[in-house]
Amino acid sequence: MAQNEHLRNFGMLAILIIILCALPPNINLYQRSVIMFTMMYVVLSLSWNIISGYTGYVSFGHVMFYGIGAYATGILVVDYGWHWIATLFVGVFVSFVVSLIIGFPVLRLKGPYFAIAMLGAAEGTRVVATVWEDLTHGGEGIGLPNVENSFETYFAMLVVMLVTIVVAYWVGHSRFGIRLNAIREDEIAAESLGINTTFYKLSAFALSAIFPAAAGGIQAYKVLYIDPETEFFILVTIFMKLFAMFGGKGTVIGPILGTFVLYIVQEITWVKFPTAHLIAFGIFIVLVARFMPRGLMGFAIDKGWARKGMVH
Amino acid sequence: MAETEIALDIQDLKKYFGGIKAVDGCSFQVPKGQISGLIGPNGSGKTTTFNLLTGVLEADSGEVFYNGENIVGLRPYEVFNRGISRTFQITRIYREMTVFENMLSASSMKMPVREARERAEQLMEFVTLTKLRGEYGGNLSYGQQKLLEFARALMTDPDLILLDEPAAGVNRTLLNNLLDHIHHLQEDQGKTILIVEHDMNVIMNHCEKVFVLDYGVKIAEGLPEDIQTNEDVIEAYFGHR
Repeated sequence: MAQNEHLRNFGMLAILIIILCALPPNINLYQRSVIMFTMMYVVLSLSWNIISGYTGYVSFGHVMFYGIGAYATGILVVDYGWHWIATLFVGVFVSFVVSLIIGFPVLRLKGPYFAIAMLGAAEGTRVVATVWEDLTHGGEGIGLPNVENSFETYFAMLVVMLVTIVVAYWVGHSRFGIRLNAIREDEIAAESLGINTTFYKLSAFALSAIFPAAAGGIQAYKVLYIDPETEFFILVTIFMKLFAMFGGKGTVIGPILGTFVLYIVQEITWVKFPTAHLIAFGIFIVLVARFMPRGLMGFAIDKGWARKGMVH
Repeated sequence: MAETEIALDIQDLKKYFGGIKAVDGCSFQVPKGQISGLIGPNGSGKTTTFNLLTGVLEADSGEVFYNGENIVGLRPYEVFNRGISRTFQITRIYREMTVFENMLSASSMKMPVREARERAEQLMEFVTLTKLRGEYGGNLSYGQQKLLEFARALMTDPDLILLDEPAAGVNRTLLNNLLDHIHHLQEDQGKTILIVEHDMNVIMNHCEKVFVLDYGVKIAEGLPEDIQTNEDVIEAYFGHR
């Protein structure tokens, strides 16, 4: 039964890959960008979901790791002449190290205290990026080489998205993920039943930090210009949270579904209502929060269209 | 008469919360392979003692020896990994996880997945929860939650099981079922069980030895029939005659 379920899920993923591989030559530059950014937000919301959806530590500062990845690419490409693909690995490594350094103290906090601490950490990183001019070029930002890169960045983001999905799928169907859920549900009970909560929280935090760094690096190479204000913009964190919650946090399919639906709705409302698209988008979110508080997957479970739990 | 082996040796355990002496120099020895009871009036320090034994609270002083090792200062997961498992006074099942996931969450990562799944299935059957394996823990009745918590505590086959008020809120049929399971563990598998309980029928009919706490101090210990007539215990529960 479980084997069939995995086969079905990987079959669906294979279809998605085929479609996403076939699209680029048949769509225009704008459409390619929209899909690339949709894939980027799939990476971000799935990553956010690992620490916040599964473990229950709601992060308001995850943009920090995205920004670190963007800056690693910007600095290494422009100042050191690295190939942009190689810079992604550096961004991932730096993010991993930063997540351990920051995670160890902040994961001792809970609820709103953790959320605020993460917000502060992200703001602190933005300030560092602004004032450390020798390294980051400060507030004037970094301009990257102006080359046609929409195909390269599209496929790089596709690869990063697939890796993120596979890792998120493993988390969502393993005892590791169940243990993260146990921490979310009741940390004292979890620790009393053999779970080293410090280790698991830190692992989840580090895992949730590395993929945004890769996405941030690709995004930097795509948009050709980065500065602290845009790369550490809180709205990026809010979007990753929103997409995950809309699809159903604590699930694998939820953040993917949530991002594809909501990002495309956002684009449509932007095209249809250029002056009022944020209001239209906001109304849509309010309606969803009112009628589907546990997101699309929660709604599907309540209706009996999806099974409860991650492991069956 | 052969000397009884000791499973848990508690020596001069203390825990103060500001001016409140929750546990104040408590010492007793839990015999191995038996069902023992820990009783006392409300606020006498029973649950605090459990929390100290399992590392949920850190003792101010004192020692607790388990298999020759002082386990005071260990974190709860370290205590659990040494073979001591517990349930809680108010159930702490994972409400938004299924019954099966609740069970799997307590399996050791060293245990292969297939084995962990089999053990979870066996224990769910043991406590008659197999039909509810895909249901959220929060949707179970309180009695069923007690059974789930009990079964979950057995996932790693612990040697010492601490049960905090297993009878509270459980109907008679379920309670008898639970007590049968407890006896099965003790008689057939040689487990040591320590029960905190207010239901004196449970303590008097099912425990071989009883410890009585009052104001964080052990005031009596002995056979259930001796405890029932102990003047200090009667005074602790009912005051001066």
